[in-house]
Amino acid sequence: MNEPLLVLDNVTKNYGAIEALKGISFSIGKGEVVALLGDNGAGKSTLVKIIAGGLEPTSGRMLFEGKEFLARTPAEAKAAGIETVYQDLSLCTNVDVVANFFMGREITRKVLGIPVLDERAMEAVVGKALASAGTRIPSLRTNVEHLSGGQRQAIELNRFVHWGGKLVLLDEPFAALGVEQTRRGLDMIRQVANQGIGVVIITHIMQQAFQVADRIVVIRQGVVAGDVARNKTSPDAVINMITGETLAGAGPAG
Amino acid sequence: MNPRTRKALEFVLDNLVWFMLLFVLVVFSIFVPNYFQLGIFANIIEASSVLGVMSIGLALVIIAGHMDLSVESVAALSAMAVGILFCSSGIGMGVQLHPEWLMVPVSLLLALAVGGIIGAFNGYLVVKVKMSAFIITLASYIWVRGLVLVVSGGRSAQDLAPAIRWFGIQRLVGLPLTAWIAVGCFVVFSLIMAKTPFGRHLVMIGGNETATFRAGIRVNRNLVIAFVLAGAIAGLAGWLLAIRTSGATANLGVGLLFNAFAAVVIGGVSLKGGVGTLPGVYAGVLLLSAINTAINLMGLPANFTQVIHGLLVLAAVLLDAFKQTIRQRLA
Repeated sequence: MNEPLLVLDNVTKNYGAIEALKGISFSIGKGEVVALLGDNGAGKSTLVKIIAGGLEPTSGRMLFEGKEFLARTPAEAKAAGIETVYQDLSLCTNVDVVANFFMGREITRKVLGIPVLDERAMEAVVGKALASAGTRIPSLRTNVEHLSGGQRQAIELNRFVHWGGKLVLLDEPFAALGVEQTRRGLDMIRQVANQGIGVVIITHIMQQAFQVADRIVVIRQGVVAGDVARNKTSPDAVINMITGETLAGAGPAG
Repeated sequence: MNPRTRKALEFVLDNLVWFMLLFVLVVFSIFVPNYFQLGIFANIIEASSVLGVMSIGLALVIIAGHMDLSVESVAALSAMAVGILFCSSGIGMGVQLHPEWLMVPVSLLLALAVGGIIGAFNGYLVVKVKMSAFIITLASYIWVRGLVLVVSGGRSAQDLAPAIRWFGIQRLVGLPLTAWIAVGCFVVFSLIMAKTPFGRHLVMIGGNETATFRAGIRVNRNLVIAFVLAGAIAGLAGWLLAIRTSGATANLGVGLLFNAFAAVVIGGVSLKGGVGTLPGVYAGVLLLSAINTAINLMGLPANFTQVIHGLLVLAAVLLDAFKQTIRQRLA
């Protein structure tokens, strides 16, 4: 779209002798939504983990806001402004909604120099965030284990919308959501992108990708098999890229 | 179900062990002669101070999703270290410091340091080598007890310096200072667990370690701190034990580990991690102590204690499963 937020330059990842990523290069602009597509085992989740700081690449480099970037831990990626929603939910079901929302970023006030959790302030923030997203949860003090799959995913989505940052990675975020919630989730993504935040969304559902993405990047067998603007391609053409009927690096088709 | 009943029911479930304690105390007071006396209740609290302190450390690591079997041996080693330095007979070296009160902080720091170092060792291996805490602390349970035997040569130290013993003799509102130390520890650590980010993080790590790592919480650091705390608290328990027995023997505190486990489980801490609170653990400790006292008063052979403790643990686990089903209905 405009100046690139994150640039990946020939990023590779080997697990022993297996090359999961053989050299991935693409970029994400500010306020741009990129749908990352590919068959199972194509390397999408590996790629997300490398950007999010869960895995280190074997070679290649990344530029974040024009500067050399490598996150060794999720904490480093977060500090740089990269939020991630993982495929398997990252919630602690043994604590309540508020605690999950603020995981690792609790609001505290000092009592005799000791940081003490400011529960009331946190509850107010969560209440507001969930209400504005139209998510209904009976009590914010309920432990997450008592909530449904959809409610859990909604918490996680609201969490990233609230914290924002500069780049958001979503690894199949709608797997447990119903039709209405998915629609709302897609709206949320647009809303986030309109704030100038870059979004990478991994999905298996072609329709979702075409609904929300500005650009579609297809990964096949560890390389970028296609990188096209949404309005210059069609679902059929993308499916061909995923299954490999179109040559790697093929431009606009259909 | 209306919200009010639901809230009341949740309150009862959350504090079940306190209700059990109350129930047991009432029953004993009615049926056991001489049970209903302030002195007896004071004795229940007093007798549970060493076990109580030790249970705190154990509960911390279990809530964080791990395990520390070494607390009993660590307490014994700390007690032995204090005993050897500050006892005047047996293998005691009878070290004197001037002014005398200086022996209190020095012995306390020594006990805490001994425990903290072993805790750090355990924590380091669990976090860095990524071995099961069960195995690592089982090893520590064995070698630390071995170390106690080595340094003591199997003999004992007696006659602890009066300045230190003072804590076990001086009473405040009917309880010796050692008991107040235990109560204070419970208050402090309950607050830490419930009100500070560190406590909250430990609970969440126990619930889903991956999620906390992804959320940017420094999991390893927190876990090592938890192990160091467990060790240091066990050291404090050892210090209290040395005061209580006015010295240290090579087999000091044997069997305490299982009582601590029983107290922690009865107190509502799940061995799966992430569930449980320290006030509950304290109620568990008091419950065990109340039952022991009743057994003594009734003149039953002390051997019965173990049978009853075992059954109690079993009951606690069954109760926990029962609570889960009720909660699921509530949700």
